[in-house]
Formats: sequence, C-alpha cells, structure tokens
Amino acid sequence: MSARWSNPVLMVAMVLLFAAGLFSGPAHLAWSEEWGALSGEGSPTSVTIMWQLRLPRLMTAVLSGASLGLAGLLMQTYFRNPLAGPSVLGVTSGATLGVALVALGGATLGWIPHALNMAPQVMGALLGSGAVMVLLGLVMGQFRSRTALLIFGLMVGYLAGALVTVLQAGAEAGALQAFVHWGMGSFAQGGWAPCTIMAVALVAAVFWANRAASRLDMWTMGALTARTMGVDERSLSWGALGMAGVLAGLVTAWCGPIAFLGLATPHLVRAAGAPRRHAGLIWPVLLTGATLALFADGVVRWFGVPLNAVLSLVGAPVVLMLIIGKGRWSTSKAKGA
Amino acid sequence: MKLELTCDALELAHPLEGAGALSFGLPPGSAMVVLGRNGTGKSTLLRTLAGLDIPKEGAVTLGSTPVAKMPPRRRARHLAFVSSTPPRGAALTVQEVIELALEAGGRPTTMALVQAAMDQGGIASWADKPIDTLSDGMAQKVMLARAATQADSVVLLDEPTAFLDVVGRREVMAAVGAWRDEGKSVVLATHDLDAVEEAGWANRWMVMRPPAQGGTLIMESPFTSAAAKQLLTA
Repeated sequence: MSARWSNPVLMVAMVLLFAAGLFSGPAHLAWSEEWGALSGEGSPTSVTIMWQLRLPRLMTAVLSGASLGLAGLLMQTYFRNPLAGPSVLGVTSGATLGVALVALGGATLGWIPHALNMAPQVMGALLGSGAVMVLLGLVMGQFRSRTALLIFGLMVGYLAGALVTVLQAGAEAGALQAFVHWGMGSFAQGGWAPCTIMAVALVAAVFWANRAASRLDMWTMGALTARTMGVDERSLSWGALGMAGVLAGLVTAWCGPIAFLGLATPHLVRAAGAPRRHAGLIWPVLLTGATLALFADGVVRWFGVPLNAVLSLVGAPVVLMLIIGKGRWSTSKAKGA
Repeated sequence: MKLELTCDALELAHPLEGAGALSFGLPPGSAMVVLGRNGTGKSTLLRTLAGLDIPKEGAVTLGSTPVAKMPPRRRARHLAFVSSTPPRGAALTVQEVIELALEAGGRPTTMALVQAAMDQGGIASWADKPIDTLSDGMAQKVMLARAATQADSVVLLDEPTAFLDVVGRREVMAAVGAWRDEGKSVVLATHDLDAVEEAGWANRWMVMRPPAQGGTLIMESPFTSAAAKQLLTA
C-alpha cells in the first residue's frame, strides 16, 4: 500500500462502514425515515434511534478504534516491543478491578456517578484506571529500565485479576452476569458526553504525537542514541505513557476491555506498507483503528457475537499470519543473501 | 561555530573511584583515543562527556555551558555519540536516519543535504534499505554518518569498531581523521590498538587504569601500540 493513497482508501472504507452502520439496525426504519430523522424531522422514535443510539454508537466505535490504535503505536514504539499494546501499563486491569468492585463488590460511589450522569460501572472503570495511572506516576522515577515498567503492568494485572476472582467467588448470579457482560465489550454504552471526552483526549494525543513524531523515530534507534540526538527521555516517557494510559483508560471505561484492537492495529498498518516514520504512521493507524472498530461493531450487530470475541477472533489470526509470514520472508531472504 | 569540550578536575562516579581527577580540553580539530581494560570506565567517561551521566566531582563544559545542563536539543547540535552496538529493530531506512540526523543538528532536511551527507558517509547506495536489514558493520557505518551529520563540534565513539572487519575498522579510523580535518573534535574509546596505530592521527591518548595500577594517564605523543600495551598490562 503506497502512502499516497492509503489514507484516502482507509477514509473511504471508514465512511462506507459508518454509513452501513447508520442506515441499518434492528429497528428496520425506512430510508426516508432515516434521512428525515438525521435532519431532525420525522417521528420522535426515529429521531431518537438515529441521534441517541446509532450515531453515538458509531462515533464511540470510531473514537475508540482510533484511540486504541494510537495508544498501541505509542506503546510499541516506547517499549520497542511489538507485543506491547495499550494494556501493558496495567491501566485496563485497573479499570476491570474498578468495575468488579462496583458490579460485584457492591462498592457504592455515593452521589458521584449520579451527579456526573454516569453509570456506576463507568465511574468504577475510570477510577480504577486512574488509580493505576497515579500509581504509575508515583513509582515511575524508581524504575531503572523499561522492562521494570512492563513488569509493573504485568503485576498490576495479576493483582487485579486475583482480586476480581475473589470478588467473583462471593458474588450473586445477577451481579456476576452484569460483570461478564461488561467484559464482553460494546460500543453501545457510549453517548454524546463520553464521545466528547474521548474526542478531546484523542485530539490532544494526536497533537502531541505529531509534535513528538521525529523524537519517536529517534527513540526506535535506542534510548542512548535518541538521548544524544536531543530527545528528552523524561518528557517523551511522560508523554507516551500518559497519552496511551489516558486513551486506554477512557476506552475501557465505556467500551470494556477491548484493548487488543490497539495491539493489532499498528501491525496491520506496518504490514500494509505504511511509512516507517511516525509522522506518516499516525494517520494510517488512526484510520485503520477506526475502520476495524466499525467493522467489528457491524459483525456484533449482524451476528450477535460479543465485541471482545470479534476483535480477538479476527485480530489474533491476522497478527499470527503476519508474524509467520514475516518470519518466512526474512528466512528466505537470509538464505538468498 | 565549533565549541570546545573541556573537562575540569573530573572524577567519574563509577567504577574507577579515586583514579584521579581528569583535566583536559578538546579544542576544535583535536582527537583523543581512550584505552583501558574492561570495566575501567571508558563508557562511563564517554557518557559523562555526553552529559548523560553526572560526575562525582568536577565538570564537563561545552563552550561555556556545563554539558549536563544544556537543553538536549541544543546539545545534540554540537555533540553526537556512537555506541558499540548498532540499533536493532529500528525500521527506519538509511535515508530516514540521515534526515533525522539533520533534524537533530538543527539543519533543514533538504534532499541535497541528505544526499551530500550519505555520499560523504559512503552509504548512499543503501539509501532505501531499512537499517535492520543491514549487517552490523553496514549499520554501524550508517550510525557514524549519522553522528557526523548531526554534530558540528564533538563526536564521541564508544568502541565503534567492535563489530567491524579489517576494512570496516580502517574506514572508521579514516573517517575520524577526516572529521578532525573538518575541525570536529573526536574522542574514541577502543581496544583496537593496531587500527589506531595504522591510522596515524592519534597523538593524544588516555590510558584508564585503577588507582592500584598507577591511575589514569593522558599521553601527548604519537600513539604506538607497543607503548599502549605496556601501559595497559603494567
């Protein structure tokens, strides 16, 4: 895929999937009704379906996909590790624990969710991921290597997992079901307010990533080389980890643990021959993430499969194929050389 | 404008504590070879000169500013560093590495400047190759061209010939000579005594030794590998 036409192609694919999602659904509205409802005319029901259900859901998918793609790219670059994704920092584990405390542990957040007009689960997820981010900020100065950071994320994951298991063991069937349901992931829980918050975070992250693009390129050559090329390691670390953590935390809060999308997207973009420098990678990653999220949402709605399952069922084999294909390619190349 | 790198009563934090304070200046167009057995602090010295490690005592200044307090971007315009291992897993092409070097050096990334830098480094024929598909020796040559393109005052080289064959070693030593003629100052840490002697430009060399072996010496005489071996094994 050449850099010159990949962005327009992705844009067209995204718009087509968006339109397909907008003009189809279980309500079986007529075309004229759907068009009318978009301009605010027609029955209140059709206006509600278009403006309060379909549009926010599709916007949530676009913003989540783009956010996770960018977060994945930042983490893979920062850790110089193709296995890194938005969940490596433990932020999504923190969110899961937050939801478990609310859904299974009976934690009440008092008046806060009500005052902010949020579901308690979302509030729990935001607090959980926020707590991990704060903890990360507090201990980051103590880490001697980036591997230590990866281990931090892994251990937070184990701890959160263990606590969730304890909570599950003592939970009632109804509460357990609600928790499992959250774990399946969905773009339908968003609304205009979450979309606005996610959009603000995404714009800030894109702005930062564009400004830091050359420094991120230098970082791929190793920390020592990057530092002597003028990269301020501290500010790059805070920027990359902070942006990825916030994006992953927000998406997880409203859409559930679907961060796998962020791991897979940069691989797909690179395999499709996107530019190597970050300045040229950011837009293909955003568009691919958004397109994949819309596609997955379509599968969810047409076939009734949970979102998390769709992402892994489609994403994992693709990433595997890419890795195996790449391995074969480099082996044959090495033999030929 | 070329800046002078100066060390004033420098004591490294690690590992050669008590090996004595180092004072020297590197005016534009000078080169110094740093020798020492494994673990005597050659890399620490280079990292301290680059402003990455903080010394226990003393100061390193570039021009009139302490190097560790210089804003990283300003420092990068004057000082570059090449480590012993070329980057792994970086998907950038040779041309993109040179573009980044020009950017780090605060210069415009015009095609003409990129091409000139690649020609000068002898790497133009690999322009479109990703550096992780090159051999270690080829990748190291790219990193040398990167450093020379980036910094206009000082280039620090930490065992740059570790992965290179005989021809590669000669090329590195010739490059250092050429940079010196351009008015850059170079510090080269190496175990490659024969290649330094063969190159013939080294008339200033430092032997890093622990206190028990007499401490660190700075020699101001033409380098011979025999004399260096004697000091290293004393």
